[in-house]
Order: sequence, then structure tokens, then C-alpha cells
Amino acid sequence: MRIEFVCNGDDVAVEAPQDMRVLDLLRNVLGLTGTKEGCGRGECGACTILVDGDPVNACLMYAPKLQGRTVETIEGVAGKDGKLHPIQEAFLEEGAVQCGYCTPGMVLSTKALLTKNPRPGIPEIEEALSGNFCRCTGYVKIIKAVQRASGALKA
Amino acid sequence: MTEEKLRVVGTRVRKVDGYELVTGKAKYAGDMRFPGLVYGFAARSKVAAGTIRAIRIDAALRQDGVLAVLTGKDIPGPNLIGVLPPHDQPVLATDVIRYAGESVALVVAETHQAAKRAARAVELEVEPLTPILTVDEALKEGARKIHERGNVTFSKKLVKGDVEAGFAQADVILEDTFTTSNQEHAYIEPEVVCVVPSGDGRVTVYASCQSPFHLRGLIAANLALPASRVKVVQAATGGSFGGKDDVATEIGILAGVAAMKLGRPVTIAHEREESIIGSTLRHSARITIKTGAKKDGTLVARKIAIVLDGGAYASESPFVIMKAMVHAAGPYKVDNIFVESSAIYTNKTYCGAFRGFGVPQVTFASESQMDELAQKLGLDPLELRLKNALRPGDATATGQSYEKSVGIVQTITTVDARRKALPPLPASDGRWMYGRGISCMLQGISNGAEGVDVVGASVQVSQDGSAVVGVGLTELGQGARTVYAQITAEVLGIPLSQVTVKQVDTDSVHDSGPTVASRSTTVGGTAVKMAATEVKKSLVSMAALMFKVDEALIVLKENFAVLSVDDNARIPLKDVATAAYWTGFPLMNLTFSRAPDAVYDHETHQGKIYITYNFGTHLFDIRVERSTGKVEVLRHLACHDVGKVINPVGLEGQIEGASLFGFGLAHMEEVLYRDGRIINANFADYAVPSIKDRLPTEAMAVEDANPTGPYGAKGIGEPPVAGAASAFANAVANATGIRFRKLPITRQDILIALTSGQGAGR
Repeated sequence: MRIEFVCNGDDVAVEAPQDMRVLDLLRNVLGLTGTKEGCGRGECGACTILVDGDPVNACLMYAPKLQGRTVETIEGVAGKDGKLHPIQEAFLEEGAVQCGYCTPGMVLSTKALLTKNPRPGIPEIEEALSGNFCRCTGYVKIIKAVQRASGALKA
Repeated sequence: MTEEKLRVVGTRVRKVDGYELVTGKAKYAGDMRFPGLVYGFAARSKVAAGTIRAIRIDAALRQDGVLAVLTGKDIPGPNLIGVLPPHDQPVLATDVIRYAGESVALVVAETHQAAKRAARAVELEVEPLTPILTVDEALKEGARKIHERGNVTFSKKLVKGDVEAGFAQADVILEDTFTTSNQEHAYIEPEVVCVVPSGDGRVTVYASCQSPFHLRGLIAANLALPASRVKVVQAATGGSFGGKDDVATEIGILAGVAAMKLGRPVTIAHEREESIIGSTLRHSARITIKTGAKKDGTLVARKIAIVLDGGAYASESPFVIMKAMVHAAGPYKVDNIFVESSAIYTNKTYCGAFRGFGVPQVTFASESQMDELAQKLGLDPLELRLKNALRPGDATATGQSYEKSVGIVQTITTVDARRKALPPLPASDGRWMYGRGISCMLQGISNGAEGVDVVGASVQVSQDGSAVVGVGLTELGQGARTVYAQITAEVLGIPLSQVTVKQVDTDSVHDSGPTVASRSTTVGGTAVKMAATEVKKSLVSMAALMFKVDEALIVLKENFAVLSVDDNARIPLKDVATAAYWTGFPLMNLTFSRAPDAVYDHETHQGKIYITYNFGTHLFDIRVERSTGKVEVLRHLACHDVGKVINPVGLEGQIEGASLFGFGLAHMEEVLYRDGRIINANFADYAVPSIKDRLPTEAMAVEDANPTGPYGAKGIGEPPVAGAASAFANAVANATGIRFRKLPITRQDILIALTSGQGAGR
């Protein structure tokens, strides 16, 4: 079926089977491989994208659900000129990235949080990122990165 | 040697490959797209043990979109994997099933879903055998042999001094048995490969892997090709922790056979369940440990029996039992030690390399007993450890002594100073029980007795003064590339942004062995420093000619060649590099660092085993809720002797991340079996620590320079796992008054023990 939505600021129209997952639509049809698959069951958060600003597990959503909606993936977070978003800068500066596989999902969950709550406390950060697993960092630096980004965004 | 003034090494820097990671541009093996790409999915055994009667593939072949179904007889080579002898593991089982989840066929189809669907249609006819699920069953007289060679995979002994004579001198003797369970690596990226046949008769393997040369060798052998026809490219790899080795060869071979057969690119991407049931786990362990000490706490003897359940195949078991054995007596001077260490085959998922490599298990046993000893003797637990800690020149368990970089005492005194400055723990009350636990540990760095320890590194400087670095060790998230870039920038006096550390592919870097054993910085960094130093000689020679001065007066810094006697006399490095090129000075060098060989007695394991050790001391403050068993970690100090910090950001990240691995092992994680099948092969049932479970880790470093590492550095990737796991266990015992002799110590374990009235708290 034909699905039309806004993806990273651009209008897109694609043909996709009704039972295609959003994750596969993004990765295999649109070539947006920055969205990762870690478990396929909505448990790890590696495939987190924003749909109308809300974080969603792209592995648990079927493509037709995107009809008329606005999607943001990791490819849309930095500027078109390649300039990093303050959240991405903060993740690098704090060392919140090791293997990088969870990073796209972490960045998008953070973006959703800071858009709604520019000055989150630690409990709010924990809650917002509790669906995103990271096996490398121990999360200490991820908390710091979100706090740094929060400061940068409000400045 | 005069002290070098360091400009890049030791400073906080960003990951050099971080931009691609935060923007989603980095290409992992599952992100590769090639025209005509097809998908493989394995059919696996549901039973844990049996004799294969037939593997029927006709029904699977008839399914929509299916292109081929491979069984073991389609593999041109020996159909064997295993990174070490005895190479006892088939890629696809043909005769015998040895664990539930073992692959018997590979379906290749136009889509992943079609391949997965058809894999269910592969009919495996098995005459089931009663699975052997524990080491006791495996060792029972007359037990069925899982492999022809018997059920003892390997067994080794360490003999130092006379352990019985040691016990005869003891005033106190403690003996107990400790167990630990299987842990899953749970890297967020499951295993994945993509194999592309090329027009020149070669195959290129893009892999999520830890040791590309293992893949090249085993893929070539099983494809019956010379290794030179196989090129393995390490794609961006989403974590490994020891795990992406045997299994990466398995799927690399399968995709390779399919790609050669079909003439099309083939990818195999494991789903999470496959990643858990079909690849290595951390060995579960049973450790009986007996310690003898004088009244004043002096250790006189330790006798230790280590039995590791290795599951169905050998994998790295031969080396894991050795590492466990060498570390079992801890970072202490003990004159009389006897250790027997064995791995046993069972009909379960095979166990292999896993961050820590046997050390977390033995450290838990050893450090639990050290705490009990301190209690029995009425000594402060840290004082007891300090009294026995290795000093420079003391003999380790293998009789090796080090004059330098034996930093265990410094880590103890650093933690002790911090401890003394802390407010006292609150007294336990009606709701909470408070406790503090400490542990000390050591971890041998680099291959040592586990194999030759050579790394090849190349450094090439372009005419613009930028440098490309190639190393045969892989970036797995640990920050190896950043360390190599820092060392190169330091030596050549150029900014970090001018250094590129290339992706590892087996055509363009030297086989440097596996990326294991916390060796990337120590041995890899040394090779990079040597290669960069050789190229620097060309640049210095050229600059000396340009300045018409002696080479001794040239300094490379800040992207210039500078006269040491006149800081304003500078030539841009790019001009020097360009002139060097046109003058014919070599601007590329490939060098090998070779660590001193391990030399030891194979019967007693006395001798030189590791080039250096990382030492650590951890402290946990926790509180346990009486009514629920819930544990809250209030404080975690993790102090390690790392020789020299290269990148503080990376170092902290390794300590924080490895500590949470240890905490997971100690409190949350356990692969569960029922009737020989893993029943929690997903992240809903297998508890990977989330952000809410993170530790408040304070990473602390002691720098006791290691003469065998670059700038004195030594590895840190693994050691905190053992430190955190054992200190946590001691904290639980201190808070509850209950000594748990198993890992994990879950909230449920604590609650059950509390409600049965075992613990009264402090």
C-alpha cells in the first residue's frame, strides 16, 4: 500500500506491504540504517524513533501506522550541513558512546525528553531512558550527557 | 629515559570515531546493502542431546522464496570450528546433537522472514538421549561420553610450594564451596555477517566480530580456499565482550558457503533468541576453596578446586580454566598454593570467552573467603588484604615476580583513605540494613601463556602531515582507535583530528591475534608507538636538513617541526612531510611489538605467564530492604592500577561499564535452563541492567608505570568485572549477616533467606 508521511523534514511516499514493520521500512526501503534492531520485541530500545515527537519502538509498529505522521530518525537529528545537535555533542563530550549501537535510540529518547521537559531531574532522565539498554557504558556517562545537553539547550 | 612532556596522551579526548556513531552513519554489518542480497536463517535442534537419524530439507526447499538449504555435507571443508584445539565443534551438526539450539541446516531465501519460516520446515529426526545437564552427571562413573575424548574438556594444575605443609602452619583454616551461573554477553547488536562473492574468485566477509583473523582462517578452511582468497572486514561492531568469536566464524562460514553456492551476497543476522541460545556464555563455576592463615592474618596456604561447566563444546575453555587457576589465590603473597582447574562438557550451550575470562568467578570465591577470614580473626577486611597484598618483587601464584607496576597496595591505600573520609554507614533500622563490602583483585593482561603476543601496526604520514594508522586489533566500543590515535598524535606532534585509524580488514593489517585479554592498549599501543616513532625519524631527519642543524635539536609538536633551542623557529609539519616525500624518506612503517614470551612449567604452571597485571580494589556501600530484599547501591568505589591513563574518558567508561557487568553477574543476570533448554532467551526474562540499575561508580586510577606498555599503560577492559561482583557479594553479607555462596545473589534470594530467619543484619 501507499504510505505518505514526513520523514526527517521531507515528504515521503512509499509502497510497502501492510505487515511491514516501520523498522524494515526505514532500513530496507528508505535506506535509513541508523535505526538499529536489537531484540525485535520492544525490549531494548535500539530501534527508537520519534513519531510526532514521541519515542516509539520501530520494531513494534507496522508501516501503515505512519500514514500522515511525522517521523524523526537519527539521520534527521544533526543539521543538513552535518553540524551535530547539542544532544549529540553532549554524548560525545561526556563519553556516553562506546560501541554506538544503542546511541541512535538513546539520542532520540533524550530528544523526546528534553523537548517536553528541558530541565529534567535524574528520576525523569531514568524514566525516559529506562527502555533503552546500553551494555557498554554502565549509563553513568549517559546521565551526564543528558544533563549537559539539557544545559546546552536551555542556554 | 627523561620524562616526556605529554600533550595528547593522558588528556580527556572524544572518541575519534564518535561522529559516525552519534549520527547513525556508521555501517554495522547488518547495514550493508548489496544488489541481490539474500538472507540465511538456521534450523536448530530443540532437543539437547541425541543421535541424528535424518535431516529432511525437501519441505523447506519448496517454500516461497527459498533458494537453498544447506546441511553439513554441503560444507566443502572439515565442517569444524573452534578457535583452539581440539576444534571439536561442527558448523552444522551432522551426526550428534550436543545442545538445544545447535544448528543443523541453513535456509537461504529472498527475505529474512522467508528464511525463518522455511527453517521451521526443516525436519530433524533425532533419537533423543538423556541430556547431561550438570558437571556431576557428566563426571559420574560410566556417564555417557558427550565427546569421544570423554567429558573432561581440559584439566590443569598449579602447584606452588607445599600446600599441606602450609596448612600445617595455619592457626585458622576455612573451607567452602562457591558457585556462579551462566551470564549472557547481551551486546545490543546481535551477531551478524554479510558475505559478498567478488568477481576475482574471492569472498569478502563483512562481520560484526572481535578477531577477524580467526574468521579468515576458519572461513577459508571450511570453504576449502586458501586464506588469501578470503577478506574479512570488521564492520562497526555493536559490542562483543568476548562473545563475537566462535559464533562469528560459524555464521561467516555458513554465509560464505551459501554465497559461493548461489553467487549472491548472503547475510545472516541473528535474532536475540539465537544470540542467547546459539553462542557462548560465561562459564558457570563451582569453586571449593580452602585458606589457611596465621592469627595475625598472614596467609600461609590456599587450596582451590575449580570446576567450570563448559557446555557442549570446548571453545576457549582450555584458556579460561588456566586464567581462573592462575588468579584464584588473588593478589596476595601466598607461598603454598595448589589449584586444580577443569572444564567439563555438558549438553548445554557452549561457554567461552567473556569479559574477565574466569577471573570474576574465582575472585568471588576467593574474596568471599577473605572476608570470612577477616571476620573470624577480628581484622578489618581491608587491613587483612593490605597485610597480604603483593609487593614489588613478591612471587605471584605462578612464582613470577615483578619489580614494577605492582599497584595493589596503592589501590588499597587509595580506597582506604577515601573510606576514612566517609561518614559512617547509617545504623540498620526497621526498614533498611546497611552494609559495606570490599574486594581486591588482579587480572593478567594480554595473551601471556594463552598464545604468542605479537601485534603489527602501521603508520603512514601523508604529504599534508596527516597520518593513517592500521592495527590488527579491533575497535569494539572500548576506545582502542582513540588510544592509537592519541599515541600517534603524541609521537608525531600533530593534532588528534589529523589521525585516522583505519577499519580493520585482513588484507591491509597484520594478523595480530585476537582482540582479547585487555591487550589492545598494552600490546597494540606499543606497536603503534613503535611504528609512529619510525616515521617520526624520517620527519626529524628531513627537518634537520631543512634547518641545517643536528637531528637532536628537532622537536615535533603543535603540527610543526620546532627547534628545541628556539621555539619561534618552526616549519609546518606538512612542509616537512612534503619535503620528506620528495627527498625519498620513507613515510610509512609497519612494526611489530612482541611481548616477552611466557615461559613456564606446564605441569605446575610455575613461571612467567603474563607480562603484567592490572590490580584493583572495589568498595560497595549498600542497603537492603528487610521486607522485600531490595538492594540499593549507595556508593561504589572502583580503583585500579592502570599503569598510565591514556584517555581518562575512555578509562572511566571501561571501569563504569565493566563494573555494571560485574554487578549484573552478582545480582541480576542468570541464564536459566529447564530440561536442557534455555527458558529466558530474551530481554524480558533475562535481566540486563537498565539505566535504573546503574552503579554510582567513582572510577579511580593509580598509575604505577608498566614497563611493557606504551607510556606505562596497561589494560582495563576486563578487571572491574571481578572487582565489582565480589565487593557487591561482600556488601550483601555485611548488610544482612548472611553469606551467600552463589552468584547471582538476587533480590529473591535475599528475601527468601531473610524470611527464613537467616539474617539479623549488622
